[in-house]
Amino acid sequence: MRISLLRGLVGCGVLCFSALVWAAAPTWQVVPAESKITFTATQNGSPLTGEFKSFTGDIQFDPADLTSSHVKIAVDIASVSTSYKEVADTLKTPDWFDVKLFPQAVFEASHFTKVADNQYQADGSLKIRDKTVPVVLTFSLDKWTPQAALAKGSTTLKRTAFGVGKGDWAKTDAVKDDVKVDFILSAKK
Amino acid sequence: MIFKNSRDRFGLIAITLHWAMAILLIGLVCVGLYMVRLPISLDKLKLYGWHKEYGILALMLVMLRLGWRLGNVNPKLTTLTWWERFAARSVHWLFYLFMIALPLSGWFITSAAGLPVSFFGLFVLPNLVAPNESERMFFEWVHEWLGYGLIFIFCCHVGAALKHHFINKDDILRRML
Repeated sequence: MRISLLRGLVGCGVLCFSALVWAAAPTWQVVPAESKITFTATQNGSPLTGEFKSFTGDIQFDPADLTSSHVKIAVDIASVSTSYKEVADTLKTPDWFDVKLFPQAVFEASHFTKVADNQYQADGSLKIRDKTVPVVLTFSLDKWTPQAALAKGSTTLKRTAFGVGKGDWAKTDAVKDDVKVDFILSAKK
Repeated sequence: MIFKNSRDRFGLIAITLHWAMAILLIGLVCVGLYMVRLPISLDKLKLYGWHKEYGILALMLVMLRLGWRLGNVNPKLTTLTWWERFAARSVHWLFYLFMIALPLSGWFITSAAGLPVSFFGLFVLPNLVAPNESERMFFEWVHEWLGYGLIFIFCCHVGAALKHHFINKDDILRRML
C-alpha cells in the first residue's frame, strides 16, 4: 500500500514535470554571424547609423505558445561601431553610454502578443546605463522551422529617457531624441 | 542698373552673385578653420552641420554663376597689359575650380565618413562613396589643401583689386560695385 502510494506520487511528479517541460517554449541559441543590431540616430538632420557587434541572447520562444515565451538580450556596449570611428569612440564616453561604468544594455520581455499575420509585439524593458524603461518592439518571423528561426524587428527609443547624451548633448536639436533600433535575430535550437 | 553684364561693367546678377559668394566663402573658410580645432562638443557638431549645408549652397550658387558667366559677355580688360589680363583671368578660372572642387571634396569626406549632409532639413544628400576611413582621410587632406589654395588666390584677387583701385586709380574694382 505504502509502496504503491509512493509510486503514485513519483508517477504524478514525473507527469507534472514533463508537462512543465512540454509547456515551456523551446530554447534557442543566437547565431551571431547572421544576427545584427543596428541603430539609426539623427544628427544635423541626417541619419547616422551604427551597429552593436556583440550581444548574447537567452531565448525561449514559440509563436504557438507566446505565454511561456521569454527573451533576454544582453548587448555589449563596447562593441558599438560606426563607419566614422570618432563617433563610436564618442559614444563610449561618460557623456553617452559610459561603457566603463555600464558595459551592458539588457532587453528583457516575457509578454508577447500577435498583432497581425506574422507580426508580433514584445512588451519588455530595456536597461541602458542605469535606467530601465519599458520598451515595445515589433517583429516578424521571416523563418520558422523546428531547427532554425529568423526574426526581424525594430523599435524606436528616446535616448534621453536613458540618459544617453549628458550635459549639452541632452539637447535634442542637433542630435534628435528618437533613435531607431533594427534587429535581425537568427537562432537555432 | 542692368541685370546683364556689358562691355564695361558687371550687371546686377553677376555683382550679387559675386558678393554673396564672397561673404559665403569667407564665412565657410573661417568656420572650417575654426571648427576642426575644437574638441568634440555639441557646438563642434553644429558648426560641422552648418559648414556642410552652406558648402552645398555654395556649390549650387557656383553652378548658377558659372552658367551666368558662360552665357554673358565679360567686361573688357583693355587698360591692362597682356600679362595682367592673363593673371586676372587665370585667377578667375582658378576661383571656379576651387569653388567647385571644395564643396565636392567636402561632400566626399562626409560620404566617406558615413555622415550624409542634410540641406537645411529639406533633403538629405546621397553619399558619393561608401564609408571608408582611409578614403575619408585622403579627401580631408584634399579639402584642406584646396582651402589653402582658395585663401591664396583670394589674397591675389583682393590684392590686385585694391592695387587697381588705390594705386592705378582705374575702374576695375568699381565695376563690380
